[in-house]
Amino acid sequence: MKKKHWYIHLVIIFFSTLTLTPFAFVINNSMRNNTEFYHKFFGLPEALGVLINAGAATFTNPAAIFETVDENDEPIVVEAREAVHYAWMRLTKSYRQSWTLIRPYMLNSILVCLVTATGVLLLGSISAYILSRYRFFGSKAIFFFIISTMMFPGVLTLVPAYLLVKSLHLLNSYWVLVLPYVAGGQVFAIFVFKSFFDGLPEDLFESARIDGAGHMQLYWNIVLPLSKPVMSVVLVMNVIGTWNNFLWPFITNTDAKYHVIASGLYVLATSVHAQNMSTLFAAYMIASIPLLIMFTYATKPFIQGVTSGAFKA
Amino acid sequence: MKPTDSTDIYRDRHYRLWFTLGCYGLLAATVILLTVFIYLPVAWAFTKSLYQFEIGGDSQFVGLGNYREFFNDPTLWPSFGHMLFLTSFAVCVRLSMPLIVAKLIHSVRHEKWRYFYRILFLVPIVVPGVAVQLIWQGLIYADKGLLNEALMALGRGNWTHGWLSNPSTALISCAFVGFPWIGGFEVLIYYAGLSGIPDSVNEAALLEGCVGIRKFFKIDIPMVLSQLKLILMLTIIGGVQGFEGMLILTKGGPGFETTVPGLWMYYNAFSFQRMGYACAIGVLLFVLIFGLTVLNFKYFKSSEEIQAIQ
Repeated sequence: MKKKHWYIHLVIIFFSTLTLTPFAFVINNSMRNNTEFYHKFFGLPEALGVLINAGAATFTNPAAIFETVDENDEPIVVEAREAVHYAWMRLTKSYRQSWTLIRPYMLNSILVCLVTATGVLLLGSISAYILSRYRFFGSKAIFFFIISTMMFPGVLTLVPAYLLVKSLHLLNSYWVLVLPYVAGGQVFAIFVFKSFFDGLPEDLFESARIDGAGHMQLYWNIVLPLSKPVMSVVLVMNVIGTWNNFLWPFITNTDAKYHVIASGLYVLATSVHAQNMSTLFAAYMIASIPLLIMFTYATKPFIQGVTSGAFKA
Repeated sequence: MKPTDSTDIYRDRHYRLWFTLGCYGLLAATVILLTVFIYLPVAWAFTKSLYQFEIGGDSQFVGLGNYREFFNDPTLWPSFGHMLFLTSFAVCVRLSMPLIVAKLIHSVRHEKWRYFYRILFLVPIVVPGVAVQLIWQGLIYADKGLLNEALMALGRGNWTHGWLSNPSTALISCAFVGFPWIGGFEVLIYYAGLSGIPDSVNEAALLEGCVGIRKFFKIDIPMVLSQLKLILMLTIIGGVQGFEGMLILTKGGPGFETTVPGLWMYYNAFSFQRMGYACAIGVLLFVLIFGLTVLNFKYFKSSEEIQAIQ
């Protein structure tokens, strides 16, 4: 096993390359214009070459004259420093363009994600704490009531839920997203939290109670600090779910004002921009940034949480 | 764990009553949300499937008419066939590919590298699912896309296709979306299973000379059965009810070549305004999923259960 170690690395890198290749092409083509995409599929952005050449020239020969094009493909003749500027503008053109297009969708999605995650963590942890640490008449029945909803797949409730929110006059609003998301999302949260709370030693609560802690203090000062890792797993899973949810916002919020990022991207890709590949690709990349930021902070607890065996059948 | 009510104050009846009411009060929001947004739609799914109606129009009781119509629907058997193909394909690749990669990562010696590789496969999770489908549609399967251009570059210009628009390749192209099907989340779950194998088992296997491929099949796979079972169940449920991919990639076309029952339900509800009929399709898919879940729990034992039996 020790001898053939290098070839394991090689196979893993081969697989990860295959997995990541499409995204490399997306990033590359988000910086090229349509002519480049449709006529020279394999190639780096032209503007990148200009940027490097002109960038080097600013140090070696600032007076050098570059014959190049601006971001609207108009020919221009400029000095090195300005050529760098124009090349940079060409590289980022589609990002600026798609940002103005998808900014409202991004903001809607971030708002919905924040509200949903807050609701799910709050309701989920309180309900799970009560069901896990207290015994009272009907507690088992309520837990069964909650957990039974897991057997109803989305395909069963999609159409009737649409009829419901329509008769509640919730279509084209934030409520039509947040309320069902919290309703559905809390179930998984309660399930995960409860199995975590069940495992906390009773001595911990006993000693806090002897020290005079009330129910609220037990929850706030003991349960919440201890459940940070499991909270971050639920949080990350919930945000991924909300961010990715496409179908429900697509059918309920048809007003462009309430599009979230997933439905917005689909609408964008089927709109007048359908052939404008660089704009679309830039939009996909911008739409990935929020989760990327979240993962840079949450990767460690997330990996630990999943690896600790929270997910088994 | 001892029940909390062993403490003296919990025996006081008045306190007990108010305590119980307080618990109900705190659980009220959860229960109300679930009743309104899950149980009510579930009940409606069954009742409305017995009616024929459009939104805002009159509804007419048709009994089991919607179900009867569905079984005579000419799209029924092809769409179930497509669903069966896509689901079995997904089961095969999602049970194998991430497990192989997880095993490879797990057998790397340095923790630093193992961590790095796990993150590497986790990176694509940040791209929204819709964007992934649109990328496959617009970048890979497009007429001037990666696949065709690569074939041209390799001098196989006559192999180029309209991958999603050609009836003979549309379905298999849909199945190949996500190639090489190594989801970072699945890798993590399998990795967790492999990490959970006790050292004693690994050492015993090593002593017996059970290494490499043989250990993978004889030790590792039986020991991660509960993870395999989880992914199997999630993949089957996702496959039976999933239609977003087809909606984005092909809209069920060309013709009905990539129509699946879920997509047919979607079109009936939101294009043809046939709400009752759509509810009936939803109910049938639920029954199918429910049946498969029960079968899974009954016949597919998890590793804990197998250990318990032995």
